[in-house]
Amino acid sequence: MKGFFDYVPGSSYLHRLNPLTKLLLALMICIAAFISANHLFLVMLIVLNLGIGAQAGIFTRSVMLLKGLLKLCIIIFLLQVLFIRDGNVLVKLPLNIFITDGGISSAFMVVFRLVTATMPLALMLSITQINDLSNVLVTKLRIPYPYAFALTTAIRFIPVFANEMTGIIEAQTSRGVQLDTRNIFKKIKLVLPLCVPLLITSVRKIEGSAISAELRGFHLRTKNSCYKKYAVNINDICVIMISVVIVGSAILVNSIF
Amino acid sequence: MINLQNVSFSYNNEKVLSNISLHIDKGEFTAIIGSNGAGKSTLCRIMNGLLKPSSGTVTVNGMDTRTTKSSILARHIGFLFQNPDRQICKNTVGEEIRFSLDIAFTDKSMIEKRLFETLSLFDFDADSNPFHLSRGERQQVALASIIAAEPEILILDEPTTGLDYVECMKIMSIIKKLNDKGITVIMVCHDMEIVLDFAQRILVLAEGRLIADGETREIFKMEEILRQASLLPPQIARLAARFGFDDVFYVDEMTDIVLKRIKNRRKRTG
Ligand SMILES: Nc1ncnc2c1ncn2[C@@H]1O[C@H](COP(=O)(O)OP(=O)(O)O)[C@@H](O)[C@H]1O
Ligand SMILES: [Mg+2]
Repeated sequence: MKGFFDYVPGSSYLHRLNPLTKLLLALMICIAAFISANHLFLVMLIVLNLGIGAQAGIFTRSVMLLKGLLKLCIIIFLLQVLFIRDGNVLVKLPLNIFITDGGISSAFMVVFRLVTATMPLALMLSITQINDLSNVLVTKLRIPYPYAFALTTAIRFIPVFANEMTGIIEAQTSRGVQLDTRNIFKKIKLVLPLCVPLLITSVRKIEGSAISAELRGFHLRTKNSCYKKYAVNINDICVIMISVVIVGSAILVNSIF
Repeated sequence: MINLQNVSFSYNNEKVLSNISLHIDKGEFTAIIGSNGAGKSTLCRIMNGLLKPSSGTVTVNGMDTRTTKSSILARHIGFLFQNPDRQICKNTVGEEIRFSLDIAFTDKSMIEKRLFETLSLFDFDADSNPFHLSRGERQQVALASIIAAEPEILILDEPTTGLDYVECMKIMSIIKKLNDKGITVIMVCHDMEIVLDFAQRILVLAEGRLIADGETREIFKMEEILRQASLLPPQIARLAARFGFDDVFYVDEMTDIVLKRIKNRRKRTG
């Protein structure tokens, strides 16, 4: 998942929105994904996600994100297909396993939901600077600064840890640990002990950032310490309305079909 | 041993190494030098198969790194990373070394023998906790666990950076001992004095290109090349060059020349 969360600079329509609007749009798409029980509608939401990516100039990243989710989707899909037994039996497999039309339908539903609900948050983080996000959380949503800071720091640290993990895997592989095996169970067994070095470096890094934040007057910071103003203009209102329409149509589509 | 032919490498379309060809023979001690970001670490990762070249071929003992797993290449190549903390994953120094040995050997008595030899080579206490050691000591633990497995080739990415003089000399003398036994050593190093003291051959990288490859003394005479790589020869060599003596790289060589000159002058005047 490395690199899916870091900020991509740009000045697109979406980039220029209020961070809160972007957050709302992302949340609303997630909510719509969970409300909707219609395959076609979910596919349209995925297309909408790709459209958002294209508008913000991060289309390749959205496609890569989709590809990254694919593996997880396949696993979930198989589990659903093999274990859900509603509806008509389509194929009978040995070991008393059935594949039913209900199973396939619900497998597609779960996979589509997973994709539609994951993409907007990743896209939102790609086009919003973390500082802006934490600033609006504090100034507009009145979340206490330490909590907002903890949240944004956690997000900021994701790529750092991903990088660290890549480095650890490299180091262990070149020692002869067979992390390049294709056998997933063997790999999991080998990767678990590597959490030790990851944990050690993480604790060291976090301790370091805590000390340096404290030295720079973290405890003196208040809601008014932020000098940037985040205005809400006509574009934001449009996007907020679109978000509401998305959730509304999810409900509408559900009640019609 | 290691052979690179027209090797190029890019990280997402950004070219980091371009068209590098070189051959490293058994028993050589080679230093890779160049400024930060020149691609030294990338070149090391290419050599041990962690990264596959975008174009060109890399072979290690005749095995193509593209088709051989890194964990198999690891039986032949020991690799010390810049950051020892990525490697150490056990609670005691002894376990850490044993972890490498368990991968490399199956024979129990061999494992015990190598564990004992390695611990005494480095003068380690087997029960100490590696995470409580200093940075230089952790670097030594990482090195110990690599050389315990007896690789034929040793690739070291800045093994001495951030260490004090004593730690540095300890690590270098162990590496030198291994090289004397016929182990091939490839080392990235920013300290030109260490390079001069230990390496027979130098590869100079600048912006991903191999701009020079030759004997250590010869390379240090190429001002233009060093300038391109933003490197400075050792101070004594620069001082000697100011006085018009080339081919002087050590304090002893400098004192010899100066003393000889003084003696000659005394003879003429006296
Ligand atoms: N994982 C990576 N992803 C993208 N670019 C990288 C990565 N690692 C290194 N680079 C880039 O490759 C270039 C060479 O890096 P590196 O081989 O680490 O240089 P050196 O070790 O000589 O300082 C640098 O410009 C660096 O920014
Ligand atoms: Mg480096």
